[in-house]
Amino acid sequence: MNFEWTPEQLVVRKKVEAVFAGAAPEFDALEQADAGAIQATVRKALRLLAETGYLELAQGEAAQLPMLIAAQEVVAQASSSLFLAVETTARLFGGLLAQAAPAWADELLAPLRRGELIAGVALSESESKEAPGPQTIATAVDGGFTINGRKSFVTNAPIADVLAVTVGLDEQPAVAIINARDAGVTIGPRLKTLGYQGLTVSALTLEDVRVPANRFIGPLPDGKLADKLLLTEALVLTQASVGLAQQLYKTAVSHAKRHRRGGRAIIKYQEVGFKLAEILTQVQSAQLLGYRAGWLAARGDAEAATVMHCAKVFASETAEQVAAKAMQILAGEGYLWGNRVERGFRDAKYAALAGLSSEQARMTVADNILTLYRV
Amino acid sequence: MDFDLSSEQLMFKEQVLKFARKELAPRAQESDLKGEFDFEAWRRLGEFGILGLHFPAELGGSEADVMTSVLAAEALGEAGVDAGLLLAYGAHTFLCADTIYVHGTPAQKQKYVPKLASGEWIGCMGLTEPDAGSDVAAMNTRAVKRDGQWVLNGNKIFITNGGIADVAVIYAKTDPSAGHAGISAFIVEKGTPGFSVGQSWHKLGVRSSVTSELIFEDCAVPEENLLGNEGHGFLMAMQTVEWDRSTLVAPLVGVFQFLLARSARYALERKQFGRPIAQFQAVRHKIADLKIFYEAARSLVYRIAWCKDQGKPLNHLEAAVTKLFVGDWSLEPSNAALTLHGGNGFCHEYDVERVFRDVRLAAIGGGTSEIQKLIISRML
Repeated sequence: MNFEWTPEQLVVRKKVEAVFAGAAPEFDALEQADAGAIQATVRKALRLLAETGYLELAQGEAAQLPMLIAAQEVVAQASSSLFLAVETTARLFGGLLAQAAPAWADELLAPLRRGELIAGVALSESESKEAPGPQTIATAVDGGFTINGRKSFVTNAPIADVLAVTVGLDEQPAVAIINARDAGVTIGPRLKTLGYQGLTVSALTLEDVRVPANRFIGPLPDGKLADKLLLTEALVLTQASVGLAQQLYKTAVSHAKRHRRGGRAIIKYQEVGFKLAEILTQVQSAQLLGYRAGWLAARGDAEAATVMHCAKVFASETAEQVAAKAMQILAGEGYLWGNRVERGFRDAKYAALAGLSSEQARMTVADNILTLYRV
Repeated sequence: MDFDLSSEQLMFKEQVLKFARKELAPRAQESDLKGEFDFEAWRRLGEFGILGLHFPAELGGSEADVMTSVLAAEALGEAGVDAGLLLAYGAHTFLCADTIYVHGTPAQKQKYVPKLASGEWIGCMGLTEPDAGSDVAAMNTRAVKRDGQWVLNGNKIFITNGGIADVAVIYAKTDPSAGHAGISAFIVEKGTPGFSVGQSWHKLGVRSSVTSELIFEDCAVPEENLLGNEGHGFLMAMQTVEWDRSTLVAPLVGVFQFLLARSARYALERKQFGRPIAQFQAVRHKIADLKIFYEAARSLVYRIAWCKDQGKPLNHLEAAVTKLFVGDWSLEPSNAALTLHGGNGFCHEYDVERVFRDVRLAAIGGGTSEIQKLIISRML
C-alpha cells in the first residue's frame, strides 16, 4: 500500500504541470471562443502534451492508469473544457483504437501520440420507436462499407480531423473511422450547452459515407469494446469532476480568506469555514475513490468496473454539490457570469448525465452486487 | 499510488472474519436487546488476540502494524459483531492500553499491558466531564500532590467501559492556570478508595457497551501512577485521536459491507408485486449507494492507517476528513439499508435496526462532526 505518487508518476505530472504554468488566461478564454479559436488552442495543447508523454499514456496498457490519473488531475484542474477535448481525442478515440487493435491502428495512433490529430467519438443517437437498436447503419459494399445515419452530441465534432462512429452491421455493433471532411459527412451547427462552453459539440449526419475496410472495426458481438469504452468514459468523467471540484475548492478558500465581513475574513465564520471543510472532505473522498478505481482497473481486478462506476457517480455528484456550496460562499461574486464558480456551477452538471448517467451507473453497480449474492 | 494489501494481511482479515462470524456475531442481537456487556464475547476476543494486536510479543501482543489492526476491526464490523463490544474494544485497547504502552514507564507497561492485551483486565479512559467535552481545557477534575501521592477530585461522564473497568487512564488538571499544559494523566485501579462509579446511561445505540460516570472523591493514587510527564496529558489525549480516526472508525467501514450483504440478500428474497424487490430500480439505487459509500470510506481509513504505519506525523486535516466523512456521510446509506428492509428493518429481529442505531454514534463519538469541521476549517 502506498498513498503517494511514485517518482516516475511525479516526473510525468511535473512535465504536464509545466505545460499549464502561467497559461490559465489562455485556457479561460476558451469559454468564449469560436470553434476556430478553440481548434487552435486544442491543437497547441495537444502538441505540448505530446512532448510530455501524456497522450500515449494508457493506450492499451491498463497498467499505466495510475500514472495517467496523476497527470489527468493537472489538466482537469487547468481547464475543464480543454481536458474533455484532449481526453476525447487521446483516451476515447485513441483508447478505442488501441483496444480494438486492428492491423492498421498505428497509422492513426502514431500521429495521435504526436498531437497532430483532434478526434471525436460518435455514440449517441435517438432511438426509433419503430425499429429499436442502432440507427446508424453500415452496409457492406466492394472493398468497404457505406454508412448512413445521424449521431447527436458528438464532442469535438466541429473541430475534429477524424471521428469514430459506432454503427450497426447486420444487427451487430461495429465502429467506422471517418475523416471529418469525407464526402457525405455533415457536421451540424455547434450546439449551445449549459456548461463546458469551451468544448465544441454538434450533431453528425452521415449520408452514403464510404469507409474502406481498413478503417472499419467489427462486427463486435461480445460487447467488450463497448464496455471498455464506457469504463474509459467513466474514468475521464471522474477525473473531470475531481479536477473541477478541486478548482472550485481552491477558488472558494481563496475568496473566503480574502473577503471580509464584520471586520474579519468570512472563513472565520463557521457557516463558511464548515462549508469549506465539507467541500474538502468531499473532494478528497472523490479523489481517493478515483485513484482506487484506476488502480483496480490497472490490475484487471474483477471489481474494477463496479468501483469505476461508483467513482463516476460519486465524483460527478460531488462536483455538483461542491459547486453549489462554493457559489454560496462567493455569493454575488460567484453568481456573476464568467466567474470561475459560476462557470463551474454550470460545468458540474455534465458528468452526472454524460457517459453512463448516474441512474444507469447505479443500476449497473447494483446489478453487479446482486449477482454476487444470487443463490 | 498502490492499494495492495499483503497476502498475510488479507489472510488475517479472513481469519478474523471467520472467527467473528462464528464466535461473536450470533451473540450480538441478544446483548443489544438486553443492553448488557457480553463478558463471554470479550473473553473470546482476548483469547483470539484481538485486544492486544499491535503490542510487542513480550507484552502479550502480536506486533501487528496499524493496517492489520484496521483490517481486523473492519472484519469485525463486516461480520456483524455488536458495535457495543467493538466500542468497548476500542476504548480498552486504544484509549487505555495503548496510552499506557506509549507513555508508561517500563514498570507500568509490564504491570498493565499484558493483562489488558489478554482481556483479563478491562480498561477505560476518562476525559469528558459535564462541562468539558470537546473543550478539554475546561475540565474541572483536579489532581493535587500531597504526601507523596496524587489526590484526585472530580467527575467524568460518558466513560465507555467505566462501570466494568479494572483500570482507568484519567486526565486531570495539575496546574489549573496553565490551560492545556496543565493537564496530566493518571492510572487509577478499580477499588482505589475514593474512586466510584456513578450512574450508567441507556443509549440509542451501542447499547451493550457500559457508559458510566466516574466519581473521584479524595481519591489518592501513588506518585508512580502519574502516566507520562506532568502537564503532557492534553498531548497524550490528542495522540489517541490517531487511533480514533483509523482503527476506531474502521469497524464502520466493515459495517457497510455487512449492510450491503444484508440488503442485497433481502432484496433478492423479498417479493412484492410478484417479483423480488431487487428488480425495482428504487431498491437497486439504495444498494448502489451502500456500495459507493463503502468504497469511498474504505480508502480514507486506509490512508490514515498507512500514514501511521509509515511513521509519518499524523496529518490531522486528513484524519478529520476521514472522521467527518464516515460520521456524516454514513447516515444516508444506513437509512437506505433500513428503509430497503421496510417494516422488518424497523424491528429488532432484523439486525439492520441495531446497526442503524449504532452507526449514529460515528458523527458524535471521538469528536463530533462539528469538531472535525472546526479542525479542518482552521487548517485551510
